[in-house]
Amino acid sequence: MNLRFILIFSYNYGLKFIKRGPSYLIASLALPLSLLFLIFIISGGRLLPYAIIGGVLSIVTSNAINGAADAAFFRLQIRFQDLFVASPLTKMDYMTALTASYFVFSLPGIILYVSLGFIFHILNLLKLIVLILVIFLITISFTNLAFIIAGLLKHIRNVWGITAILSIIATVLTPTFYPYFIIPKNFLMVLLISPITPASIFLQGYFGLAPYDAISIPILIIETIALMIMGNYFIKWRE
Amino acid sequence: MIRVKDLTKKYGNIHALKGVTIEINDKVTSIIGRNGAGKTTFIRILSTQLKPTSGSVNINGMDIDRDINKIRKIILSIPQEAQPVGIMTPLEHLELYLIARGYSLSEARREGKYALEELEMEEFKDVPCDELSGGMKRKVFVAMALASKVDIVFLDEPTTGLDPLSRMEVWNSIRKLDSNIILTTHYMEEASELSNKVIVFNEGQVVSQGTVRDLLAPFKNKVRVEKTNGEEYDVKIGKLSIKYVPNDRAQEYLSKGYDVKNITLDDLFISRGVTLES
Ligand SMILES: Nc1ncnc2c1ncn2[C@@H]1O[C@H](COP(=O)(O)OP(=O)(O)O)[C@@H](O)[C@H]1O
Ligand SMILES: [Mg+2]
Repeated sequence: MNLRFILIFSYNYGLKFIKRGPSYLIASLALPLSLLFLIFIISGGRLLPYAIIGGVLSIVTSNAINGAADAAFFRLQIRFQDLFVASPLTKMDYMTALTASYFVFSLPGIILYVSLGFIFHILNLLKLIVLILVIFLITISFTNLAFIIAGLLKHIRNVWGITAILSIIATVLTPTFYPYFIIPKNFLMVLLISPITPASIFLQGYFGLAPYDAISIPILIIETIALMIMGNYFIKWRE
Repeated sequence: MIRVKDLTKKYGNIHALKGVTIEINDKVTSIIGRNGAGKTTFIRILSTQLKPTSGSVNINGMDIDRDINKIRKIILSIPQEAQPVGIMTPLEHLELYLIARGYSLSEARREGKYALEELEMEEFKDVPCDELSGGMKRKVFVAMALASKVDIVFLDEPTTGLDPLSRMEVWNSIRKLDSNIILTTHYMEEASELSNKVIVFNEGQVVSQGTVRDLLAPFKNKVRVEKTNGEEYDVKIGKLSIKYVPNDRAQEYLSKGYDVKNITLDDLFISRGVTLES
């Protein structure tokens, strides 16, 4: 494993992106922060914990999904991927580096939301560690979904539309910002295909906001592994 | 030394390569051919980015399938239309690329700086690439090739879309590479500027190969004369009548209102299928 590459890539492409293209960072925070505001006003503060936990999950998810645009751009437009295919770098290094860079790119949002979590007494140290683990799984899942999308596309032109739609479906429709038990069970079953659903069910239970449902953890892990296997295939390293 | 045997590639119904057998062992080899001739497909197979449908490729004694990891250590490929990442600087590109090839950070920084200096890009090394000119962007990739010191460098249309001056700058930087180079182009001028050996692709096949001089041998002591709607012609392209005539008859055609042009590699394509009278 080329750890140096993974670090330097996430530093250049994650951290410097924040510095040199800050509008993207603000854009990625705009929706969750607006929802936080709305939920706070409408529920008189009562549903604030959902808005905070949901907010951090949705930031990580939409940044990872938007990674499809980068991965497709790298593969189809600027041919960055091919440059690395014809080199000693492995597919795993490349995929890990991109995943790490989206995690880095999400860091300011994560820090902001974690701070809010501490301010509003939703988080403690143990809960923070559990939250970070879930964030890792979610980043891995959705980055691999991004690789699948990027690998399936023949042209770059639709990628921004596709990622915008998926982002909304994955973060607003699913029980990210609202309690999972208020929607019909059948509908919840359908929503379970998005890894953010089991993640939310688990976190809402773990944070004492809703009934705890242990089955959500294996579902999340299995979905993450399944997406990793598919991402690994669809990235089209050597076509 | 690259040995290619019976190489074919199909994309669904499209037969992009139809059995290519060739040996490549010159310092700089140009592959020329019109758009869609199969140049990119060929380069991408040789540089391990694309699996062939059938056939074999052997690079310096290593098989493209069996020894793929060994081959990837000694090659470098700059894809057609490759662009640097806009927010990253040339030096950051070199560092990243060299680290991908296994360099340490300090080695990568040193070699990267050195290569950028060699190509006279020192003053741009810390400028985000989206602020650079097209020629400079291309040279970022040539600098990668210079710094990597690999055995074989593949360049797929390295100067397409550049203005003439930038093109010459990129040529000069390519000339500084010590590696063996295989480049594709549809600028005949580029092939004759940079390489001695030329391979001509047409519709997925190698139709001729040799030195520029070999390929132009049939045109020896000839000129191309052309005139809109001229009565005499070997080839007609649209309304343009084109004829190949001996040097000493140039004056005669000038007086008939024809333009007289020197022979270039372009004439290989223009004259395709024409039997030249000697
Ligand atoms: N990914 C692809 N899918 C389908 N057809 C392709 C693909 N890549 C190239 N082709 C087709 O294969 C032929 C050769 O293309 P290419 O190798 O790009 O030629 P060149 O580089 O000489 O222009 C063309 O007809 C092209 O349309
Ligand atoms: Mg091409």
